[in-house]
Amino acid sequence: MREMANGALVALDRVSKSYEQKVAVKDLTLSIAPGSMYGLLGPNGAGKTSSIRMMIGITLPDSGSVTMFERPFSRESLKRVGYLPEERGLYKKMKVIDQLIFMAQLHGLDSATARTRAHAWCGRLEITDAISKKTEELSKGMQQKIQFISTLLHEPQLIIMDEPFSGLDPVNAVLLQDVLLELKRAGRAILFSTHRMDQVEKLCDSICLIHRGEAVLSGTMREVKSRYERNHVVIDFEGDASFLEHASIAEAKNYGGHAEIRLHEGADAQHLLVEATRKARIFKFDWIEPSLEEIFIRTVGGKADA
Amino acid sequence: MREALLIARREYLARVLSKAFLLTTLLLPLFMGMIMGGSILAATLMGGDKHLVVASDDTTLANAVKMELVRKDPKRAVDVLVPANEANREDLIRRVGAKDLDGYLWLVARRDEPIPEATYTSRSAADFFTAGGLQAAINKAALRVEIAKKGLGVQEAESLLKSSDVKTMQVREGKVFPTDPAKGIFGAYVMVMLLYFSVVFYGMNVARSVVEEKTSRIFEVLLATAKPESLMAGKLLGVGAAGLTQLGLWLVSGSLLAVFAMTARAGMSGEMKSFSFSSFGVAPLQLLFFLLFFVLGFLFYSAIGAGFGASVSSEQEVQQFSFVIVSPLVIGLVMMRYILSNPSAPLSVGLSLFPPCTPIVMYLRLASQQPPMWQLLLSVGLMLLAIWGAIWVASRIYRVGILMYGKRPTLPEMLRWMRYS
Repeated sequence: MREMANGALVALDRVSKSYEQKVAVKDLTLSIAPGSMYGLLGPNGAGKTSSIRMMIGITLPDSGSVTMFERPFSRESLKRVGYLPEERGLYKKMKVIDQLIFMAQLHGLDSATARTRAHAWCGRLEITDAISKKTEELSKGMQQKIQFISTLLHEPQLIIMDEPFSGLDPVNAVLLQDVLLELKRAGRAILFSTHRMDQVEKLCDSICLIHRGEAVLSGTMREVKSRYERNHVVIDFEGDASFLEHASIAEAKNYGGHAEIRLHEGADAQHLLVEATRKARIFKFDWIEPSLEEIFIRTVGGKADA
Repeated sequence: MREALLIARREYLARVLSKAFLLTTLLLPLFMGMIMGGSILAATLMGGDKHLVVASDDTTLANAVKMELVRKDPKRAVDVLVPANEANREDLIRRVGAKDLDGYLWLVARRDEPIPEATYTSRSAADFFTAGGLQAAINKAALRVEIAKKGLGVQEAESLLKSSDVKTMQVREGKVFPTDPAKGIFGAYVMVMLLYFSVVFYGMNVARSVVEEKTSRIFEVLLATAKPESLMAGKLLGVGAAGLTQLGLWLVSGSLLAVFAMTARAGMSGEMKSFSFSSFGVAPLQLLFFLLFFVLGFLFYSAIGAGFGASVSSEQEVQQFSFVIVSPLVIGLVMMRYILSNPSAPLSVGLSLFPPCTPIVMYLRLASQQPPMWQLLLSVGLMLLAIWGAIWVASRIYRVGILMYGKRPTLPEMLRWMRYS
């Protein structure tokens, strides 16, 4: 598998974990390469957080192994990791700047460097006003940005974020997404978990879809999508609609000038396009690849029925 | 180690720079001072301007009682009513009811005894201090009258009525020193209360702050860099140092207050000699023991607090159970009088060697009498062993507990946590 290529910053190899009677993670294998963004997908309670906790040694797997920076996991490696947990935690009564410096010091930074970087990041994320305030005085979104900064202050090579965009307004979500994309271009490896498919679709190079503790789908975005055929077409047209009876079409909805079409399996949309241009004036012909959301529902839905 | 120190520093600063710390540091000595000042003031005012009537058939006795009462408290107004009959009594009752009088003393001489039958009637149901003072005055007056009847002169009567002064001495390391039991008890009392409150306050403070970090989910962030052991060690160190800082400030401000009180006392009447801050009766060595037993008690109870805090999910639960946790310390407080007067009794020795009770009981024993060195060393040794055990157990509960939310774990579950690593 391409994923298992050398140079991975973190790799799980057939990792399992159970709590009391409940299996949280089962035989999970994944790895993340430098300069890539990895999406960990799954419905609530699928095992995303459990997997992440094992990745950074908060809990230990019952079986399987964790490799970080190409060595068996050790706490020393954590100095080069930035972790944003799903449940945000900040000291309520502490000033933002003190908090950021404290967290950076725990990651091995000296306080002067931490201070300089904290100011720079707060400027970048447009929260300079908050820097000398106490956390409890800030809005939820601002606190989230501060936590985000504290994850990145020590310039980690591996960034692991559990639901980083949840609860953020669209403007701020985009602001943070841009930061992550920039870090990715700078060669960092980023893993984040989410149940929002659109974000993964836009940002990630590779994904792993977890359902009930097991990986049901994983690989690069292209690989995953190519496993699911493009069989939907949307056409905007004017004129004769009889091309909608073409042999390649399994099902078509005609809204008068706008048609949504599902093709037979293995059918080539190209033939349909030829037929359509012969009959009508075509404004738009869109051969849609399945959205991740559809794949998600198809995969998980299939499992749920089983 | 660096992590633990960073965490300790944060915990220390978070406490020492808080408003609550400033307030308690300032208010406690102030509060103590107010209690001292208040009790001195109350002693001065007590029974001060009372207006009493002594009614009797016996003029000599009534006058003797009046003399005793006035001698005890010159501000008291005492009238004598002789001879007294039932009509007078009704009039007296009316006057007391009309607040013209504070009370009257009805004396009936007994045939074959020198001490008369006495009834004190006043508006307050339990004027305990007046009643106590009256009893002494009546006894003394009756004796004085009786002695005079036997034909002895005034000088001789006075010398017979003089009460004995018991001087107290203490043997320490083979030498005899004068002591003041009131001073000793008072000093021990103040110090033990301070010790108790500091150990309980700072020990349970650890439990509370663990729960707080648990509910605010800070642990999850901290655990991504620091080991649970470092987190716990840092917390104990930081909170303990804050406790020592506060105690240090109190001891310094206490000494200053004592100096102040001594200077103030110089200008006051000699009456309250036994009732001032300067009679603290705490030797410097005792201060060292105080700090030692604070540190030992704090480490023991805060380790338990840390484990306990990690196993619950709300501050209410901490409050509910903290009393149970610190109950061994309360045993020491309840038995304070017994231990102070019987410092070498088997029960005192036994309790002082039982680690959960050691800080309070051993300190009390030290305040009363120098216990044998081996007992002191043994108690400290056992205490250190108990602290090690408490930290061992607590850190295991802590490690698993801080990531567990929801229902409180059962005991079997906690035992299972011990085996996780």
